[in-house]
This record gives sequence, structure tokens and C-alpha cells, in this order.
Amino acid sequence: MNAPAYNFAYLNEQTKRMIRRAILKAIAVPGYQVPFASREMPMPYGWGTGGVQVTAAVLTPEDTLKVIDQGADDTTNAVSIRKFFVKTAGVATTERTEEASVIQTRHRIPEARLTEDQILVFQVPIPEPLRFLEPRETETRTMHALEEYGVMHVKLYEDIAQYGEIATTYAYPAKVADRYVFDPSPIPKFDNPKLDDCPALQLFGAGREKRIYAVPPYTKVKSLDFEDHPFEVQSWDEPCALCGSRDSFLDEIVMDDQGTRMFVCSDTDFCAGKRGDR
Amino acid sequence: MTERGFSDVAVQSAHAFRAIMQAMARPGRVLELGADIEAPEPLLASTAAIALTLCDFQTPIWLAPELRNDKVTHYLRFHAGAPIMAEPDKAQFLFAEAGPTLPAPDVLMQGTHEYPDRSATLIIQVEGFMPGAVALSGPGIRGSEPFGVTGLSASFWAAMANNHADFPVGIDVIFAAPGRVAALPRSTEIRMLEPA
Repeated sequence: MNAPAYNFAYLNEQTKRMIRRAILKAIAVPGYQVPFASREMPMPYGWGTGGVQVTAAVLTPEDTLKVIDQGADDTTNAVSIRKFFVKTAGVATTERTEEASVIQTRHRIPEARLTEDQILVFQVPIPEPLRFLEPRETETRTMHALEEYGVMHVKLYEDIAQYGEIATTYAYPAKVADRYVFDPSPIPKFDNPKLDDCPALQLFGAGREKRIYAVPPYTKVKSLDFEDHPFEVQSWDEPCALCGSRDSFLDEIVMDDQGTRMFVCSDTDFCAGKRGDR
Repeated sequence: MTERGFSDVAVQSAHAFRAIMQAMARPGRVLELGADIEAPEPLLASTAAIALTLCDFQTPIWLAPELRNDKVTHYLRFHAGAPIMAEPDKAQFLFAEAGPTLPAPDVLMQGTHEYPDRSATLIIQVEGFMPGAVALSGPGIRGSEPFGVTGLSASFWAAMANNHADFPVGIDVIFAAPGRVAALPRSTEIRMLEPA
């Protein structure tokens, strides 16, 4: 056998130390976005370079890695990141949520309740929840420093004034440990309640935007809302067409050009488990 | 001769970091930190593992007088390449033992309200842990967690309670005991259980 072509988990040790220092500060200040010296990765920005760098910095050879993209283990992004770590770290992989010790995810939280022994790594495109309301980094940084989040409530209020309800359905802003408003990445708001009081450590990596943040285990995560317009998650009129689940997040699949539609679980492992098919 | 560092840097620093990270994520919980590493007296192997996992040329270090000798400074310069500072308020990572030379948290780098991450991490080398001095609560803790450290007085816990009061600025503490690690980030609320 040839000598390994990569350092364990691809990144060099100095890069890992830099990322690890950022992760520790991110955990110590829950919800605060720690700047880090994001590296170029062998995949384009937007494909999970932040999540991949965080995963590489926390991975040990004994870990079992699961990678999901919109809940599915078998989509391009998930498959290629999983193969990346098989090649560069030699770790075991799984599609079963309960078998994984590290789960990297794009835009979903698994339906199965996570445990203390698991780490969830989110891929984040835009880490700053205030960015679309205030484009200047200097301003948003000051707003976080002053805990000045009125503009976000105005945005949610304008939703109500215009549509009669809060129209934000994904990347729904939430407050971590009663201090920082954060962007939970573009997960459906259906998943926001799972962020709260979660036994697993949750880490967020934004590669292009060069930010890392964290939600420690058992931390309060409160989705922003109003007393008379409380936070609500999506619901569906019908169960999953494959497994019959009524309490999972469903994707709408267009079946033909006659308008036939099918609603199925977005979490493929959860759905297969329900069907006894795995 | 300088002691060697990790026998396998990539793998052992990954294991050490997992323990440090889980300790920081679960304040007051004592976790195993075993590493195949040689450390110069009087550094513990666990302290050395934390230093070589987190420190490098980008991180100024400060050493308390009882930990500062030629062997230790040479070891840290050789393996980590870290600059060793004379003043504690210039250091990103500080190493000390539980005792009178422990620097006060409020003289160390606190970060700013804009950049609370630009703050010091204090690594305290301790003999062991004995729950009972304080009860911890906050992020990372389900309910509350009894905690205590051999050799740390009520004044330390009072100083750390003040450190928490300044959240989000402040320092974070890692406790290194033989083969074990625990942590106390600034986010943790501290309630004294024993009268001073």
C-alpha cells in the first residue's frame, strides 16, 4: 500500500488548530458567529465547504459519519462529501441516524431525536440573520453587540401585515440562550423546535462567509415570534405516501404532467426505518 | 533533550480536541483525556496535549511562574512555535496551576462586545475534581451540574461568577487533571454551595 496521500481528514494540522480554536469560542458564546480563516476546499463554495472544514476538525478515526442533503443520504452533495471523508479520513459511514457519531447536514435536522454522543454539523450559506435587512457587516456586528434586534421583529411584523402570518418558512431566525439571534441555516422552520434543548452538540460552518457558530447541548433556542402570532411549524393534510408518517417533514414530488403529486418524507433514513426497509 | 510531542499528531490531537470540545460543550463534566505524549516537568501530559492541540505560532502563550522553566518554554517553542509572553494580558492561552499565582480573570484579554471571541483561554493544571463547591447551570448543562476543583478557593469561583456576569465578553477556563479534562466557559452560571 502506498503512503497516505492526505493528512488525516484532509486539512493540515495548523488549519485544524485554527478551526478548533474557533469552535471552542463558538461554544463558549452560543449563537455568536466566530470569524475563521476558511480555506479553499476541493469543492466549490456553496457545496458545504464550511461544514466540511468543521467536520474535518472534529473527526476522529473511530467516528461513524452520516451526511445528508435535504434529509437524503443519496443525493449528489451527500454522496460526494461522504466519499471525501472515506478517502481522506478512512472513517466508517452510515445512513442510519442512530449509528452515526458525526452527522453533517445540508438544510435538515434528522427526524430521530439525537443523543449526547452525536455531533450535528450544519452547512451554512449565509450565517448572518440580519444580512438581508442590513448589508453592512460593520452595522450587523454592532447590532449583535448591542443586542439590537428590533429590525428583525419589524421584518416579521411586515410579513404579518402583508400576508396575515409570518411568511418565513426556512432559515427562520431564533434566539440562542436569550442572547444572540442566529440563522439556523436554511432548515425548514419545521426543524427549529429540534434545535431547542437538543442533547447533541450542534456546530455551524459557513465556508464562503468564513464564520463558525455553535449551539451547545441542552441550550434554549427560541424561534422569534409575537404573543398574538406564536411560532408555528408546517403541517400537511396527508401522511407520507410511502411510510404513513404524520409527524415528519414531507417533500412534494411532482409525478407527471397531469398535476399528480405525492408527499413523502424528506428524511430518507427515517422513512425507510418506518417501512422496515433498511 | 526535548521531550517529544504527540506520537501521531493528526490522530492524537483529534482525540484530545474531541475531549476538550465536549468538555467545553458540557461545562463541569469531567472527561477522559489520554494522549501518548511526553511532557516536561511540571507540565501534566494532559496540559501538554491541550497546548499542542490548540496552540501554534498564531497564539501568544503565558506561563505562570511555577510552570515556567527552560524545558517547558523550549518544549512549547519547539513543538508549537508559540510566542511566550511576559505579560498575562497579552496572551491568548494561559497556563497556570491552582494556587496564589493564578491570574485574575478580569486582567486577561476579554474580547470586545463586537468580537467576544478575541478573548483569553486559561488552562489550569489541577490535581483533580471534587464536586460540591459550586453548582453550574446554563448552555450545555441539563438542569444543574455539581462541580468543584481541588485547590481552588471561593475567591476563584467568585471571580468566575463575575466573569459570567460580563457575558458575552470574558474568558474561558479549561481544567487539566492527570488524564482528565473539564471546562468552564463564560456562558456558565455559577452558584456557590459552600460558604467561603
